[in-house]
Amino acid sequence: MKKISSLVVGGLALVALGAQAGTLEDVKKRGVLSCGVSTGLAGFSQKDEKGNWSGLDVDVCRGVAAAVLGDASKVQYKPLTAKERFEALRSGEIDVLSRNTTWTHTRDTSLGLNFAGTIYYDGAGFMVRKAIGVKSATELDNANACIQAGTSTELAIADYFRENNMSYKAVTFDTSDQTRIGFESGRCDFLVSDQSQLYALRIGLNNPDGAVVLPEVISKEPLGPVVRQGDDEWFNIVKWVVNASIEGEFQGVTSANVDKLKKDGNPAQLRFLGTEGKLGENLGLSADWAYQVIKQVGNYAESFERNVGQDSPLKISRGLNAQWNKGGILYSPAMR
Amino acid sequence: MREFKPLPAQPAPVKTQGAVAWLRDNLFYSPVSSIVTLFFAYFFIKYSIAMFDWALLSADWTGTTEKDCTSEGACWVFIKAWSQQFFYGSYIESEIWRINLSILLLLAVIVMSFTLPKNIRLKVTIPAFLLLPFICIAILDGRILGLTHVKTDLWGGFSLNVLMAAASIIVAFPFSFLWSLGRRSDMAFIRSVSIIFIEFFRGVPVLSLFFMGSVMLPLFFAEGTNVDKLIRVWIVLIFFMSGYMAEVFRGGFQAIPRGQYEAADSLGLGYWQKILLILLPQVIKVSMPNILATFVMLFKNTTFLLIIGIPELVQTLQTALSNSYWLGGHTLEGYLFVFAVFWASCFSMSLLSSHIERKLDTDNRN
Repeated sequence: MKKISSLVVGGLALVALGAQAGTLEDVKKRGVLSCGVSTGLAGFSQKDEKGNWSGLDVDVCRGVAAAVLGDASKVQYKPLTAKERFEALRSGEIDVLSRNTTWTHTRDTSLGLNFAGTIYYDGAGFMVRKAIGVKSATELDNANACIQAGTSTELAIADYFRENNMSYKAVTFDTSDQTRIGFESGRCDFLVSDQSQLYALRIGLNNPDGAVVLPEVISKEPLGPVVRQGDDEWFNIVKWVVNASIEGEFQGVTSANVDKLKKDGNPAQLRFLGTEGKLGENLGLSADWAYQVIKQVGNYAESFERNVGQDSPLKISRGLNAQWNKGGILYSPAMR
Repeated sequence: MREFKPLPAQPAPVKTQGAVAWLRDNLFYSPVSSIVTLFFAYFFIKYSIAMFDWALLSADWTGTTEKDCTSEGACWVFIKAWSQQFFYGSYIESEIWRINLSILLLLAVIVMSFTLPKNIRLKVTIPAFLLLPFICIAILDGRILGLTHVKTDLWGGFSLNVLMAAASIIVAFPFSFLWSLGRRSDMAFIRSVSIIFIEFFRGVPVLSLFFMGSVMLPLFFAEGTNVDKLIRVWIVLIFFMSGYMAEVFRGGFQAIPRGQYEAADSLGLGYWQKILLILLPQVIKVSMPNILATFVMLFKNTTFLLIIGIPELVQTLQTALSNSYWLGGHTLEGYLFVFAVFWASCFSMSLLSSHIERKLDTDNRN
């Protein structure tokens, strides 16, 4: 039975793969990038009252559109649920999937997909009430935990507590909103969820200042954009747009100074922004592709602070998502 | 000699009319009932005062951002700020008149269906109904009429619920009529195809059909064809509805007295003449309450579209709740608003349906 179903799935994936090649030409011909985002996740892909999309995931779509079409606004956003995201990508309904998708071995190897980098290193973390005075997760022995049922967090916390020879009592809820209400009404001592969500949940509390997020991150949840396997040209483009935004921050190129640096920057900056060299040509794009990304979307730091960092209500600190020379693990391969 | 002794006056009878009597008869007729009444009255008053205070007295009404919600009560600013999204989705702001026009057209055709003079009523309203979905789609899409093209990704909100429900039930109407005829047919092939179709779509949950439409269908289409997600779901809804309505119509056909069929046959009418001229008008009349009930069901089912990310009203609400600038926990206000909108629409539909029934029910009352 299992064999048959995997045959069917494999066959479907093959059909879908056969249908897709030359995404770059398709996008150029269409004049608009079709980008799969979530139906709403604070700071990552969210709609405002006017119907405009913004967020860290959305900025990947805008960056790719800026690099390929020269206009970050030429994006058609397709809100997708977690269940349909991969099928939407495989069937060609979307060109890029940028929907807080965790890069896992299984997904990368068995779904006919390629992950084009990581734009946010997430991981399960803890939120506790300030009043109980806990400073580290190791002090949480015998405590009650509010968890959303059926998430990978559930597995991560079980592993973590067993590893540290501690025990906890799980209080599970169906949705993340219910988890927040359970935490608020004192059903549990601490709340476990992905870090990026913890900050959003914290704002939803009646008294956000009464709760703190602990420093421990207990699982790996690298989130990044996904493309179809078998179209290396397109895979390269998305991968290097992600890298360009990280490299932009590393080289100190921002949307404010990009025009000036394009003319009189140092050699690395000139190469990066397309004044010299042929980075764009190798990708099949115009020479100023990276300039367009930085000019219209901003570098990684700008995008981060605007959507989830200090300039946003979420106020997530950079943590792992800082440059490698500033205590984080963001590292773009060499731009030359 | 016996003396006349008047009987002592009887006590006045217990009052059986008026407010006091009503209270005694219904709420305080025994000690237990009095206790129960007081118990419920206590909680009712306690919570309704709290609710009233939360929803009206200490609620925030003015402002445009989350920061304007300062009091303890409900934050109606949230609903106000998002109202355009809730009703029209992300539809281009300057083109919203097209949605309003479509909804007005729908209302106009509904009103026509019971106000026109009887002799032309069916002749005008049936074609009007059948053309309406396509006219609305042309108006909303805009390409055919030379208006700005608005892509279906931008359609959304409550107007999408209304138009999806209306467009699918109207298109499903003729199909379901044919399926119900097929099910009653003497030809074995047509009958079995109809039965399989009807029973499949009645026996499968609408949620799984939506998943089929959004996830499975695209994998079977030819290379490079991307049928719009909204159209795929629309087709699914039409199939689903025509399965249900076919059974409604079958009930209608069975309710028509045998004599009507025989009378039509003896007049020498052909099959289609018999169906269209003699039976259909009666069947529609008999089935009207069920048709409207099915429509209300379908209308509420359109909220299931959120499961595949179509931005209908409930999905829009969830998107709004997850915006990082509105994270103050407005779930309650949001869902109360959704309740109110759907309740108001469904209740007015049931008022309308009882009105239509009274209007149609001129002779069959025994």
